[in-house]
Amino acid sequence: MISVFYQTEGHRDIGHLEIEPGATVAQLKELVVKAANAEGELVLFAEDADEPLAADVLVKDVAGAHGLKVHAHRCKEIAVAVTFNRKVARRTFKPGTTVAKVKKWAAVKEFGMTPDEAGEHLLQIVGTHDRPAPNTHLGTLVAHPHCQIGFDLVPDERVNGASEA
Amino acid sequence: MAGPDERALQAELARPAFRLGQIDGRWTLHGVTWPYVYVGVVARDGVECVLRLNCAGYPATAPTGGPWDMKRNAVLDPACWPRSRGGRVAAVFNPGWKNGTALYLPCDRESLVGHDNWRVEMPSKIWRPEDGIVQYLELVHELLNCSDYSTPARAAA
Repeated sequence: MISVFYQTEGHRDIGHLEIEPGATVAQLKELVVKAANAEGELVLFAEDADEPLAADVLVKDVAGAHGLKVHAHRCKEIAVAVTFNRKVARRTFKPGTTVAKVKKWAAVKEFGMTPDEAGEHLLQIVGTHDRPAPNTHLGTLVAHPHCQIGFDLVPDERVNGASEA
Repeated sequence: MAGPDERALQAELARPAFRLGQIDGRWTLHGVTWPYVYVGVVARDGVECVLRLNCAGYPATAPTGGPWDMKRNAVLDPACWPRSRGGRVAAVFNPGWKNGTALYLPCDRESLVGHDNWRVEMPSKIWRPEDGIVQYLELVHELLNCSDYSTPARAAA
């Protein structure tokens, strides 16, 4: 059996199921839709992949040594805007894209940080204090038909004031 | 029979979010001796820092704990604690704080006491029962993998 960890539209919980290696992606999608009690025409993506998984591909051909991480969503793309120092970077990502990948793109590619500097910053959803964990899929943060989200790139503040007590 | 807090923790350890951390190599479960759970969090240099977290009252009450020496069954020798390059790791991994029994984090039960300002200043790091122990571990993992982290002066026994 192949272990599959899935995230779905608008839900932050990570789900898990097991499937036969010879099953197709279409069969996997059916199981995810049923397990997540999802509705509508969902598209299945592998984590951080640029294209949806083709329905007739076998699960064993796309799974790694530790299984497969997928995302099911009605949005085919999500428009992302990241603000830092009053500048805004925009592009679209697939719903299965991790917050870590989005942050790397924004911090390093768009705002010119070194990887170490990027590590001292986090993505925070605009208008909230919500800083999704790095392995969170973008699709968990939005629901169709609102296929867009905005983040602020903020410093990961130091916990000051430690004393000996 | 296990109480509701112990059963809640055991359920949490079986949840996909916790198991995914294990599969991704971010942390390892070393065991549960109620009310303590022992989890090793992996740093950027591959060194594992085992935390002993007291989970009494879980999940309504936040865990509390710090680096633990599994062989000596005692608080980890300060020489073996993660070090800082002068940034934010030192504040959190402070052997002098609570005699090394708590990390100086807003999501730590003991450290939050007397720090109500943290609820306003860093709300994202306040304990969220719905996210459970994974929130605590994610914060520690992030610290042990940031550029401020430095290898401990001495390896744990």
